Amino acid sequence: MNLLAWIESTAFSEWVRGSPSLFAFPGILSCHTVGMGLAAGINAAIAFRILGVAPGVPLAEMQRFLPAMWFGFWLNFFSGIALLIGYPTKALTNPDFYLKLALIAAGVWLVGRIRERMDGFPKGLAIASLICWGGAITSGRLLAYTYRHLMAVGF
Amino acid sequence: MADFQVWLVHWLAHAAPPIATFMRSKWGWPMMESIHFLGLSMLVGCVGAFDLRLLGVGKRIPIAALHKLIPLGLLGFAINVTSGSTFLLTEPDQYIYNPSFQFKVLFIACAGINALMFYKTSWGRATADNAIPDAPKAAKVAAVISLSVWISVIVCGRLLTFFRPGPCPTSGPGLIADCTPHSKAR
Repeated sequence: MNLLAWIESTAFSEWVRGSPSLFAFPGILSCHTVGMGLAAGINAAIAFRILGVAPGVPLAEMQRFLPAMWFGFWLNFFSGIALLIGYPTKALTNPDFYLKLALIAAGVWLVGRIRERMDGFPKGLAIASLICWGGAITSGRLLAYTYRHLMAVGF
Repeated sequence: MADFQVWLVHWLAHAAPPIATFMRSKWGWPMMESIHFLGLSMLVGCVGAFDLRLLGVGKRIPIAALHKLIPLGLLGFAINVTSGSTFLLTEPDQYIYNPSFQFKVLFIACAGINALMFYKTSWGRATADNAIPDAPKAAKVAAVISLSVWISVIVCGRLLTFFRPGPCPTSGPGLIADCTPHSKAR
């Protein structure tokens, strides 16, 4: 608890939470949403291709879009850490946050498995990927509604 | 324009009471927001991948073949027009008078015009049987505009809550109201 309170007392945490600048909370949240669209969206496009959409596209060539996917992923890794520093108690005391992290971890693991088995059109893995990234989006969105403690103070 | 906005807010507020009731239930709004974000990802993933191809990513992919992903992007857009309408029908004044929402609609219109121009000008050349892997310059311009405009749509959507319209000053709203006019219509 002391650790959470300490993080919340740092200047960066206070800036993320309280600065009136659009580059603070609103800007970080905007980056997190653009990154989400790229990471989840490109993974979805690859999954759709595996499931039979756009059959004229050589499946292996879909990997060319993975750098854009990873750009979105790392954008969200860092914007996510900034949001976490802003509201550490809010996220870390909510089981939904750990569900989101687990779904992202599974989704990232699936990216590698799908690449290994591209030739075999792994439909099961593609469906699992859609579920993981869709689930990560949903659990992430619901973080705003399911938290029990906003700040360490009064917890 | 401000008068039209007042009328629109009034009309939206009374257009579909059951939807507003559902949205005010415990999980109505969070559920629709989640769907809105899923639709966003479908749209940005499919349209974004196509735009990147026009810009030279994955040049061995035939442009016409990759275009078959676009209907799924449009499905994402349809999901978001539908889920977005439920927000609008529940809290119309929070959107119609919100400058961030006004810009969002403007950017969506730009995306539509840009797509139409792309199909009119460079679609034929980019997808002809003898087309070279490198897309025409006009197509690349359209791709840059598309990517920038959809990112702007996302940012405006995210900024909505930070530009909640307050009551208009006594001088009243400007040409386009970005504040809630004092009106019996509410």
